[in-house]
Amino acid sequence: MKPLSRRKSPRRIAGAAAVLLALATGAASVLLGNCGPFTDVAADVFCPFVLEIFYLGITTGTTATTYDPTSNVSRLQMAAFLSRTVDGVLNRGSRRAALDQFFTPTTTNALSVVTIGTDPKGLRSDGADLWVAGNSAGTVTRVRTSDGKVLETWSSAFAAWSVVVAMGKVFVDGETSPGQLYRIDPTQTAGAVTIVASNLGNAPIGLAFDGARIWTGNNSGASVSIVTPGATLPWTVTTAASGFTNPWGLEFDGSNVWVADAGAGRVFKLDASGAILQTVTVGLSPRYLVFDGSNMWAPNTGDNTITVFRVSNGNVLQTLTGNGMSQPQGPAFDGQRILVANSGNDSVSVWKAADLTPLGNFPTGPAAPVYSASDGVHFWVSLANNVLVARF
Amino acid sequence: MLLGNCGPFTDVAADVFCPFVLEIFYLGITTGTTATTYDPASNVTRLQMAAFLSRTVDGVLKRGSRRASLDQFWSAQNSTVLAITTVGSSPEIVKSDGKDLWVSNFFGNGSGSVSRVRASDGKLLETWTGADSATGVVIAMGRVLVSGYSNSQLYSIDPSQAAGAVTTVASGLGANASRLAFDGARVWAASSSPTISIITPTGSIPWTVTNVGGFGLPAGLVFDGANIWATDANAGTLLKLSSAGAVLQTVTVGAAPNFPTYDGSNIWVPNNGSGSVSVVRPSTGAVLATITGNGLTDPAGTAFDGQRILVTSLTGNALSLFKAADFSPLGFVSTGASTNPKAACSDGANFWIALNSASALARL
Repeated sequence: MKPLSRRKSPRRIAGAAAVLLALATGAASVLLGNCGPFTDVAADVFCPFVLEIFYLGITTGTTATTYDPTSNVSRLQMAAFLSRTVDGVLNRGSRRAALDQFFTPTTTNALSVVTIGTDPKGLRSDGADLWVAGNSAGTVTRVRTSDGKVLETWSSAFAAWSVVVAMGKVFVDGETSPGQLYRIDPTQTAGAVTIVASNLGNAPIGLAFDGARIWTGNNSGASVSIVTPGATLPWTVTTAASGFTNPWGLEFDGSNVWVADAGAGRVFKLDASGAILQTVTVGLSPRYLVFDGSNMWAPNTGDNTITVFRVSNGNVLQTLTGNGMSQPQGPAFDGQRILVANSGNDSVSVWKAADLTPLGNFPTGPAAPVYSASDGVHFWVSLANNVLVARF
Repeated sequence: MLLGNCGPFTDVAADVFCPFVLEIFYLGITTGTTATTYDPASNVTRLQMAAFLSRTVDGVLKRGSRRASLDQFWSAQNSTVLAITTVGSSPEIVKSDGKDLWVSNFFGNGSGSVSRVRASDGKLLETWTGADSATGVVIAMGRVLVSGYSNSQLYSIDPSQAAGAVTTVASGLGANASRLAFDGARVWAASSSPTISIITPTGSIPWTVTNVGGFGLPAGLVFDGANIWATDANAGTLLKLSSAGAVLQTVTVGAAPNFPTYDGSNIWVPNNGSGSVSVVRPSTGAVLATITGNGLTDPAGTAFDGQRILVTSLTGNALSLFKAADFSPLGFVSTGASTNPKAACSDGANFWIALNSASALARL
């Protein structure tokens, strides 16, 4: 197998091909065009496409003044073109670009912090506001993401743990035994949450929605509960317990619910009834999961790694290490980046989701970050010890 | 250096190109030629290129969507889990300003109103009154513009002000003014009179109205970035219009085409009388596909969220979803008996549907 063959006098080959093309079409006058910096690209209908991928940085040309338009593309070259295309589109298309926010806070002084007033755990954004579970006080706090203002606090969410926004409502699971599922109608005045089910497996802490039903991962119950919304309360609960050791977080990938089993060191793909369809062996104590549209990220709290696997076949793509990770958990995806909260060293680690490369480790102050979420612009991280939520 | 070690690929050198290969592998754009080889030196055929580009587009749109960043990879599967917001009587059209939804209620407050609903939580924020037979809605110029069906008027709402009565900014539109569109300078209204009205904003009220005739039954309007297109429900056509309202091109679609949507490349035309959707390329006027099935019965409204097209079936009480990039069906969901979903829009994260007979908005 030979390496890149385009290095062999591309200008001469391109010129010869252009002559043939020009003779064939009778367009002898457009042999050497003038398309931006490229002397070997005609100023014809293809020129704007060449210029666009040059201006976007998808191609750099074969030299500063040549593009070598008639050569074939090798699979290796294509990889570069497509990879740069993905990066450029995601970077430009992000809400952060439109808001001129290309920075990530790199010091604790640069963080925005919001006092919640209780130890925050799970959190999710509805697109405008953030909903934060307060475990010890049994509260759910609504924070406006645009400015970090605390808008309201809901009560009676005993042992509140994880949050999911679905069906125009906010759902929170209560880490009680048996477990409870709470509901908030965000259009109403803040008050006590509504209990929609109180017979979940013991200590539910994971939470997900699949488009029809709400799933909980029951930590000490060694089970997964599936709650079906109905016209009247309480809602129907079925609980699947076969094959689980110590379930934590759940994530829906558009087709299936996956659960991280911290006790088993595995992530399970579940069918609609909660039975295990596939087992992916990951690291020690995977607690929470996040899906990036292609791949599942499972931070392994016990061995300071992240297992990244493809949901379509369960194949592990890479086990990430380093990047400052210490007891990583509570991951989030913002469309480009994955963030994990490091409760072990009071920091967050950020990764480029497309190529799994590290983007840095940033301090949160002495505050034990545990969970995170994206609102589409910022990451928000719950800092358990300092009763704060920080905005990245 | 020929045989490197680049991720799973034994035939890719660990050099400057390796990160690119790994990125498209991790993204699922390539699967490799085998589990351990990528065949880096081979050329790419046009057929293979189609697969690579198609997967690239899909991956970018999926990751870049607001739904991905909000961890919402699900779609509502049944009517029980649809979020419902009660609005005024007979909601006709719903449009998003990026944060709030604006709904025209034909019989709201007795004779017509406009509801403002917060998209993040579905809360009814305001009701604007005095919008007699409110029908068409377009959000432009920092205003919410609404057509009055029975009195041929164009109403304006300044959303920065306290809710109250709407302001009439133009009169004398074609009788039974319905759908609206904006082209960057002027407001267009389709009327069953049959007329298309072009309303030019001016420094003072009333704004200038030019009525153009010669149509069968103008129903829906859509602007593709260059031209206004109108459906003619009588003729079964989609018409490309000049800036003066003259017909530049006629595309034959199905029977009784209703309210179309542009997805950045193509126009989706719901054919109410044919139970189908025509997908038309505006650059050429070619019909790319005529789609049936997937819950389509009498398609009326359409909406695009950046990835997906939603089509309402008015008396079929169903919402059908399609992948906009390849027209493949993504399933359908019922809105409940006799709800009559008429129009829809996206707020960037969720679809919102005006349930004409339920005095409500549904969120999908």
